[in-house]
Amino acid sequence: MEHSSRAERVLRGVLITAILVFFLFPILWIFLMSFQTNEEVLRIPPSLFFKPTLINYASLITGKLQTAAGSLDLAFMLNLWNSVLLSTLSVALSLLLGVPAAYAFARFKFRGSEDIAFTLLSFRFAPPLLVLLPLSLYFQDIGLNDTYVGLIWVYQLIALPLILWIVRGYFEDISPDIEYAYRIAGHSWLQTFLRIAVPLARPGIAAAGLLAFIFCWNNFVFALILASADKQPVTVGALAFVTASGIQYGQIAAAIVLSITPTLALALYAQRYLVEGLSLGAVKG
Amino acid sequence: MTDKAKDFFAAFKAGKMNRRELMSGAGKLGVTAASANFMLNAAATEALAADFDWMKHKGTKLHLLLNKHPYADAMIADLDNFKKMTGMEVTYDIFPEDVYFDKVAAALSSKSTQYDAFMTGAYQTWEYGPAGWIDDLNAFIKDPAKTNPNYNWDDVLPGLRASTAWNGVPGGALGSADAKQWCIPWGFELNSITYNRKMYDKVGVQPAKNMPDLLEVSAKLTKDAGGPYGIGVRGSRSWATIHPGFLSGYSNYGQRDFTVEGGKLKAAMNTKVSKDYHKMFVKMVQDSGPKNWSTYTWYQVGTDLGAGASATIFDADILGYFMDGGDNKEKGNLGFHAFAANPDAKAPTPNVWIWSLAMNSAGKQKDPTWYFMQWASSTEHDMFGARKMDFVNPVRASVWKDGDFRDRIAKSYAGYLEQFDASSPGAKIYFTAQPLFQEVTTQWAETLQKMVAKQVAVDEGLDQLAASLDKKLKDAGLG
Repeated sequence: MEHSSRAERVLRGVLITAILVFFLFPILWIFLMSFQTNEEVLRIPPSLFFKPTLINYASLITGKLQTAAGSLDLAFMLNLWNSVLLSTLSVALSLLLGVPAAYAFARFKFRGSEDIAFTLLSFRFAPPLLVLLPLSLYFQDIGLNDTYVGLIWVYQLIALPLILWIVRGYFEDISPDIEYAYRIAGHSWLQTFLRIAVPLARPGIAAAGLLAFIFCWNNFVFALILASADKQPVTVGALAFVTASGIQYGQIAAAIVLSITPTLALALYAQRYLVEGLSLGAVKG
Repeated sequence: MTDKAKDFFAAFKAGKMNRRELMSGAGKLGVTAASANFMLNAAATEALAADFDWMKHKGTKLHLLLNKHPYADAMIADLDNFKKMTGMEVTYDIFPEDVYFDKVAAALSSKSTQYDAFMTGAYQTWEYGPAGWIDDLNAFIKDPAKTNPNYNWDDVLPGLRASTAWNGVPGGALGSADAKQWCIPWGFELNSITYNRKMYDKVGVQPAKNMPDLLEVSAKLTKDAGGPYGIGVRGSRSWATIHPGFLSGYSNYGQRDFTVEGGKLKAAMNTKVSKDYHKMFVKMVQDSGPKNWSTYTWYQVGTDLGAGASATIFDADILGYFMDGGDNKEKGNLGFHAFAANPDAKAPTPNVWIWSLAMNSAGKQKDPTWYFMQWASSTEHDMFGARKMDFVNPVRASVWKDGDFRDRIAKSYAGYLEQFDASSPGAKIYFTAQPLFQEVTTQWAETLQKMVAKQVAVDEGLDQLAASLDKKLKDAGLG
C-alpha cells in the first residue's frame, strides 16, 4: 500500500485546483456573464461582483432581444429545438444502421469488407463545403432541400462512420465464444445479435451514440447551406446576437449555457458508459 | 382606420398641412403617436399606389434572403403596407452577418430558386454579376410598364447609383454608360471619424484635421486619457480591414489599388505616396491602436468605442451612430467628424459600403420580385425607415432633405448631419472593380498585419505585395 506524505498531498491538491481553475474558469466566466447586462460585461476593468439579472434568459425564452437598434425578434428556442430534433433523430438512425453494420464488419470477413468500412470512414475526410454544394443541387432535384429529412440524411455523414467504427472495435473485443454457444443452442444470427452481442456491447454503443450526438449538435455548416432560417440549429442561431449595432455578450453567454445544457446532462448521465466504452473499444488485447 | 382619419393622413400626403398640424390633429381624433406613424405610412403607400397597377401580381409569393441588420428590420416593420398594396405574400429568411454571405454564395452558385431577391454589398456583385447569378436591373428600371412613375431613380444619390453599376470589364469604371445595374442601393455607410467628446475635452484635443494630426491626437489620447487607447481601426486578415478608414484615407492621397493600361491591371500600392501613407497608418496602429489589432473587425472597433475603451474610430459613420445610442456606456457622448486625411485635399473621399438589393437570376418570378424591390427602395419606404427606424444612412437625396429626419438625427446625434453633409459629396467606392477583389484585399490586409507586427518593412512589404498581385493578375488573365 502506498503512502504519500502531507507535502505530496498538499501539492497534489494545489495542482488539481490549478488545473480545474484553468479549464473551468472560462465556463464559470460565461456562466457569470449570462446574468449580467451588456454594460456590466463590458466594464473596464471587469469585475466578479455585479447585480444579477435574468433578462438575458428572458429575452431568449420570449424571443425578444433589446439592442441599440431597438427590439429584434429571436428564434433561439426554435434553434434549440431544431438541434435537439436533428441530433436525436440523426443519432437514432445512425444507431439503427450502424450497429448491425458494425457487427457484420466485426464478425464476418467477406470480400471487400475492409474497403466498404474504409469508404464509410472516408465520408469524414471530405471537406463539408465540397460535398454540400453538389449535394444541394441534388437535394433541389429530389425535393429534399430545406427539409428535416434531408438534413437528417446528411447528418449521417457525421454520425454513421463514428458509430460504425467505434462499435465495430467493441464487438471485436467481445469473445465470439459466447455467441457460438448461444447459436449451438439453436438460435439464429439475429437472435444472437440482439440478445447476446448488443447487450454486451451496450457501453460501447452508448459511448459512440453520445459522441455522435455531440458531433451532430456542434455541426454548423450542413443546415446553414441546405436549409432555411426556420430549420437552423443552435450553432447558427447563436450568431444572431452578433449584430451590426453591437454584440450582445450577455445573451450570447446565456445562449451558450442553454445550448450546452442538454449535451452536458447527457454526458453526465452517460459518463460511466463513455469511459468504459471508449477504453474497452480502443484497447486491443 | 376611420374614413375621417384616412382623409386626414391623405391630406398631409397631398401637402395640405404640415407635420405638426398632422400630429396635433391626429391626437384630437384619438390616434396614438405609434398608430399615427403607421397610418401616415399607409397613406404614403396609398399615394404610391395611385398611378400604377401594383395589384398586377396579386397572389404571388416571394421569398427573400436577408441579413440580420437594422435595414432589414425597417423593411419588415413596413412590410404589411407592401402586402396590402400588392396583394402579394412575402416571406423571408434572416441569417446573421457572420454566415450570411456563405449562405448567399451557396444559394446562388447552386442556382437555387428558393430566393427571389436578397441583400448584398456592391463588392460582392463583382463576383455574382459576371458569374450570371444576378440580373441586370436596368431592364426593369428603364421599363415604364414595370416601374411605377413615382419611383424617381435619379433621386438615389449619384455616387451610390454609379457604385452599384459595372460593365463587367475588370478595371472598368463604375457607373459607366455601358454598366449593368447589378443591384439597387438600399442603405449605406461612409467612413469618417467618430470620437468621444468627453475624452477629447478631458485631454484637451480637437478632432484631427488630417492624417499626421490624427497620429498626434491619437498618441496624446493614448497617453493622457487614463486608460482608453487613442484610435480604433479594423485589423483582421480580411477585405473588411481595407475598405473602411484605411482606403478612405488612402484615396484622399490620390492613391489607387490598381492602374489600368490597355485593359490590363497593374498593382499600384507601392508608389512613394502610398508607402508614406502606409507608414503613417502602421505607426498610428502601433502607437495608439488596440492591443489585439490584428483580430479587430467591425464588432470590436464598435464595442470598444461604445464601452469607452477607445477614444476615436476611423470607420463607418453608422457604427458611431449605433454606439452613440442603445444601452452603450458612452451613449450620447460621441461626436462625428468628416475627415480628409491628406492635408492638401480639399474634401474627404470616404469609401462606402452599400447594402443593396439584388435579384436572383435563377428566380422564377422576376416581375413580381421587381415590384418588391422598387417598393423597398422607394422614397416612401426610405422615408419611413429614416424617420422611424434606424435606416441610416438612407440612399435618397430627398430623404436627406426631410425636416423630420434631420431633426431626429440632429437632436440625438451631435454633429452627425454636419459630418454627413461634408463627407457625402466625395463618397463612393474607391476600389477598382475586378473579380479578384476578395483575394487582393485579403492579401493587402495580411501585408498590413506584417507591417504592424514589424515582420516586414513598409517599403519592402508593399513591393512584395505589388509583385505578388501582378503575378496573380497575370495568371488570371487580368494583368
